[in-house]
Amino acid sequence: MSVQPTPTDEPGGGAGAFLGQVISGAALLVLLTLHMIAQHFVLPEGLRDYASVIEWVANPIVVVLELSFLAFVTWHALLGLRAIVFDYGFSPSTERWITRTFVVIGVVTVVYGTWLMYAIVSAA
Amino acid sequence: MSGQRPAAPVATAGPVERRRGWTGWFDPRGRRLGGWAFALNRLTGLGLVAYLYLHLGVLFLLSQGPDGWDAFVDVALSPPILVMDVVLIFGMLLHGLNGIRVGLVGYGMVATRQGALFVGLMIIGAIVLLAATLRVFA
Amino acid sequence: MAEPQTTPTRPVRFRVHRRKAGDSGGRYDSFEVQLDEQRTVLDGLVAIRKEQDPSLTFRHSCFHASCGTCGMRVNGADVLACVTKVADLGPTVTVEPLANIPLVSDLVVDMGAFYGPFSRAGRPLLRESELVPGSQRAEGIDVLTRYEDCIECGICVSACPLTGSDPRYAGPAALCAAGRVIEEPRDADRLAALRFADGSHGVWRCHVAYECTGACPSNADPGAHIMRLRRAATAGRFRRWFGVGRAAR
Repeated sequence: MSVQPTPTDEPGGGAGAFLGQVISGAALLVLLTLHMIAQHFVLPEGLRDYASVIEWVANPIVVVLELSFLAFVTWHALLGLRAIVFDYGFSPSTERWITRTFVVIGVVTVVYGTWLMYAIVSAA
Repeated sequence: MSGQRPAAPVATAGPVERRRGWTGWFDPRGRRLGGWAFALNRLTGLGLVAYLYLHLGVLFLLSQGPDGWDAFVDVALSPPILVMDVVLIFGMLLHGLNGIRVGLVGYGMVATRQGALFVGLMIIGAIVLLAATLRVFA
Repeated sequence: MAEPQTTPTRPVRFRVHRRKAGDSGGRYDSFEVQLDEQRTVLDGLVAIRKEQDPSLTFRHSCFHASCGTCGMRVNGADVLACVTKVADLGPTVTVEPLANIPLVSDLVVDMGAFYGPFSRAGRPLLRESELVPGSQRAEGIDVLTRYEDCIECGICVSACPLTGSDPRYAGPAALCAAGRVIEEPRDADRLAALRFADGSHGVWRCHVAYECTGACPSNADPGAHIMRLRRAATAGRFRRWFGVGRAAR
């Protein structure tokens, strides 16, 4: 056929988002497992009390792992929500605004979580 | 017959848009394994996002000193909340393990065996959920 | 002389979607039909039109799952009515038109809309049939085209949970056809088909539900084709990024 196809979107549109979900999802498989084991399953009480939390976050490796977990889970969650919203077929300009909104929410979430970690580590 | 109509010339209608719409993705009628996997993945995803922000909100107590957090821990270890913990772990396992299926199949790997992959992953998930439930209520 | 055997029949209640031009909305009409256990939903609809309501409209042709014209929703499942036995369906059979394709009348959907994404694809998807040597073609027909395993019934589009909400999504049928071009280009433009598919409203909109594959009555397997298109698009991208292997695009 000589007629040229019309791409369904800009070339590769959506591929980056899917790759991002796969990468962040793979990271979460590790980080969430570590988080759940460390915060819930290794403790006889089932949950850390305040003193135990303070002791726990005194370890810088824990801080790095928990902040990485926060970043990846926020990324994965908001990219997933964006995919659900995009399923309803908005115009390209509306999609751009939706993306910006999710980026702002993500940045606020990570900044809040980082501040919270700073406050807890400071108490330690 | 209750809907009998007289013989009449068939009218030609202009096509009418008739999509499943906003909630169509969760229409359970006629759904197959992959469709259930998709719908449950989405439901658990939405639930986990809600939990993420609830969790971040509750963690604010840690910035306020031991009193608030330790009182929360007492509540969190009560049986009704522990049941909710099991529901949460169920959601995490389903979403995470199905995510492995989506990641592999989504790049063309085992593209014709996605149903078997889902079943295998869910069996692993059921075993882990059972172990986690026993641990939660130990 | 032995008496001819008669197959026992039972009453089957059909709830059939109705909507004609000018109607403000759809409704369901009920019909009762005597059918034996070998009869299909299409047999029931034909009986209704013949004996009870000649204004009932639906498409059909071959009666044996070859032409793809009688795709519809039966008790919520997307099926070919000609191979769906009423004996498998319970006392009430609810028949609706395919979803996600505009409705023309009663159970008839606008197949022109179904072919829309094919047109946007530049139709690299239609190709000449490999005719049996010595076969006859009708007068005035120079080439025969066919979309291979796909019988163009629209069932995959109706079953797809994404097509239901995103009108810009290319849909499983057109993407499946593009996948076949990648898999077996013959003389078709492989890269153009890949460009058609590789977009956020193309293969990357799919959420791996595989309802299209599950519903497909001719094993065209649109879901697997969509995933292979993703792999081909991703492989091409990686080759361009890292400059290894042959360039895909």
